[in-house]
Amino acid sequence: MRTIKSEQDIHDMARGAVLLGTGGGGDPYVGGLFVCEQIRKGRHPRLCSLDELADDAFVLSIAGIGSPTVIVEQLISEQTLARLLGRAESFFGCRIDALISAEIGGANSVFPLALSAISGIPVVDADGVGRAVPQLEMTTFSIYGIRATPGILMDDIGNVVTVDAASDRKAEDLCRAITTAMGSLSFSAIYPMTGAQAKQAAVRDTLDLSLQIGRVIRNARDGSSDVFAALLGYLNALPGREAYELFDGKIIDVAHETRGGWHWGVVTMQSPHSPDDIFTVQFRNEFIAARRNGKLVTMVPDLITILDRESAEPLTGEMLSYGQRVKVIGLSADPMLVRPESLEVLGPRAFGMDCDYIPVGRCMV
Amino acid sequence: MRLERLRLGIDVGGTNTDAVLMQGNQVVGAVKRFTTGDVSDGVVNAVRALLALDGVQPSAIEAVMIGTTQFVNAFIQRRDLAPVAAIRIGLPTGDGIPPFCDWPADARAAVGGRYWMIRGGAHHDGQEFAELDMDALATAVQDARSNGIDCFALSATFAPVRPDIEERAARLVRELAPGAHVTCSAQVGGLGILDRENAAIINASLAPLAVRVIGALRTAFDTLSIHAPLFISQNDGTLISTAMATEYPILTCSAGPTNSIRGAAFLSGLTDAIVADIGGTTTDIGFLRNGFPRETASPDRIGGVRTNFRMPDVLSIGLGGGSHVTEVDGRVRAGPRSVGYRLQTEGLVFGGSTLTATDIAVRSGHAEVGDPTLLAGVTDELVNHALDDMHAQIEEAIDQIKVSAAPLPLILVGGGSILVSRSLKGTSKTIRPENASVANAVGAAIALVSGRADRMFDYGKIGREAALKEARAEAVAAAVSAGAEAGEVEVVDVQELKLTHMESTMMQVKVRAVGPLALGSGLRLAVGGQ
Repeated sequence: MRTIKSEQDIHDMARGAVLLGTGGGGDPYVGGLFVCEQIRKGRHPRLCSLDELADDAFVLSIAGIGSPTVIVEQLISEQTLARLLGRAESFFGCRIDALISAEIGGANSVFPLALSAISGIPVVDADGVGRAVPQLEMTTFSIYGIRATPGILMDDIGNVVTVDAASDRKAEDLCRAITTAMGSLSFSAIYPMTGAQAKQAAVRDTLDLSLQIGRVIRNARDGSSDVFAALLGYLNALPGREAYELFDGKIIDVAHETRGGWHWGVVTMQSPHSPDDIFTVQFRNEFIAARRNGKLVTMVPDLITILDRESAEPLTGEMLSYGQRVKVIGLSADPMLVRPESLEVLGPRAFGMDCDYIPVGRCMV
Repeated sequence: MRLERLRLGIDVGGTNTDAVLMQGNQVVGAVKRFTTGDVSDGVVNAVRALLALDGVQPSAIEAVMIGTTQFVNAFIQRRDLAPVAAIRIGLPTGDGIPPFCDWPADARAAVGGRYWMIRGGAHHDGQEFAELDMDALATAVQDARSNGIDCFALSATFAPVRPDIEERAARLVRELAPGAHVTCSAQVGGLGILDRENAAIINASLAPLAVRVIGALRTAFDTLSIHAPLFISQNDGTLISTAMATEYPILTCSAGPTNSIRGAAFLSGLTDAIVADIGGTTTDIGFLRNGFPRETASPDRIGGVRTNFRMPDVLSIGLGGGSHVTEVDGRVRAGPRSVGYRLQTEGLVFGGSTLTATDIAVRSGHAEVGDPTLLAGVTDELVNHALDDMHAQIEEAIDQIKVSAAPLPLILVGGGSILVSRSLKGTSKTIRPENASVANAVGAAIALVSGRADRMFDYGKIGREAALKEARAEAVAAAVSAGAEAGEVEVVDVQELKLTHMESTMMQVKVRAVGPLALGSGLRLAVGGQ
């Protein structure tokens, strides 16, 4: 068990979470501010490892659902989060022993930390996918048989809805519809599970991973060493992972549209040295495929991240715009995500691409 | 010869106050004076020098346009700021992230950091989720007053969709606290309550300073017998009335770089180019597109505080006329340290003892200031290495600000533009327009006047066409009443924001119109695409 002591750690975690968000997952800025405010009041989020968790512990996922435009207006209510915990305990009929993030990438990395700060309940250093994904059923929780519901959704006004869906695919639809009626922002307590289930289904040590990524970037920046060299060095030293700088260039086009409730689009970049050297990143909420001059170089579930080329600040899809100078990094997914059962729901075919998964290291050459 | 129909453009920078007199498209007089602690003294010095020119009568000046970094500098330097009561209308939402949550401690201390959160606000569809709590508001106002605070910043959840909630609250504040300065967040920002609220708080903290400075400027022009209408440059390069600037000083915060880039466009006749404004300490490199500066894509921080203002996308590097030139480990570097405005005493060429970038420019034969014989001890080798470094720094910055590899013309402005003597990589040609050293004051003098309309319409009742027509007419009328030439005003931006997820035909319509100042001179001020 450890305590997160500083606001600096929260900023580092948020930065790392954006990198793991691979363009999606939302900006953790607002959630990070909430946790920092708690830390200033002396309330510190606590972390425990998967191994510290008792097999019969009751673990619950806390996630924000909704529109990025709404959270930047309504922000986060401490009272709502406290009520959510109380309602969840009475609904499930037991005390919550630990909280877990459903996806580490983006904004949902910080909500369990926020609840931990106000309640003292520890957050498990793990999550349900090790990146960000557009749908509930794409988490390793769902893949390994933990059901997203029964669960509850709550808004700031006091509306509470319990959901018990026939499938996790349907749970996604129901949660979206309810959230729309709630003003396009809700907080949910989902994926009730035991400690034993979490140990089997969760992607390990991902909060620490996001913290370390954020720290490596900040330290290299402050020490004015080569930030990308430091970052790639760190990522390549992770067991079973490899990372590559895929491209260095300027964004010359960001085309996107909202279709069927998803955010679709393509970011096009151009090399400053050769105008014919074109790199594209295709996205559906998250970045799903990167191509250099038409040739695939990285695909889901491997992670594609676009970063500011000077500061190495990772950027969400919403932050990208014409003229930005960026670098693109490809990072192989956690080994759990490339098992056959995972690739079935997380591989390129699940995103409408007509090809089988090729790991970034082989894909690039 | 007597000059008629003059416009006086003034740029009050951190170091220099520049002033130009323009007749039609011609610059007929230009001066540069030091900025003074009391801004109006520097302005008076500069204007007196212009009035001393042959044939200039105060009565011939038809309009005065001032760009000033005074307000943004006051906030950045945390001086002359008033304590602010930040009142957020948003409960039960957002209580975990109070106002000032993301402010640097010194900025927060400088404005007092006092806030109140009360019930009220709307969803994104405009429906109120809680009734505005007028009792809590009254208590907050009395509490603030008893703490000696009379500047208020009001921010309500989804105020851009429902500005009336803040306006209703503002009426009560003014009633309970007569003479108070009240800033409503919807007037100074878009979606994103934290950024918008921050802008409202910054604005409220500057309100008393704005009253003093703009009042002092008015008095100064009266004593100079200049009775022409006074305008202030705002961020987008258009003019606002002094009344508007007094109420919303934050609207002026990035007028400096905007005026410089707009002035460069006007003086060169180009609409697409790189603009390098080389001053005493820094070089600001901006990008001119369709006659206007390209703006940043992400939220900008003002004095460490995040706001959703879009600033001109300017890259500043520590190289200017006063930059120290030093040799460290066999490598010659210019900047980032600078003698700044002390160049006239400390530079070698002026009899001082510090080798500066200006000395290098003079020694290389590309500039004529001071006494070149004082530079006899500077070797050719040192000069060449220094020139290499200065040009490489500017080339690197140009490369960073450009969006494509295609070479673009470079417009050099500012007092330090003598530093550039070679052609630069990534540029097609280098243009040094006449009066380049006062481009920012020219940018102020040529500015257009704008007017806005921002209203909710029920398309179901009056129809889209009638609604847009009404909104456009309102924006044009606002521009004309702000001083634009009737008949010359163009609508440049129309935005329709639908209230989604609601069975409603209500639409928010935002229209911006711009036109040249009505001066009766037949002058066409429009530059570029707009």
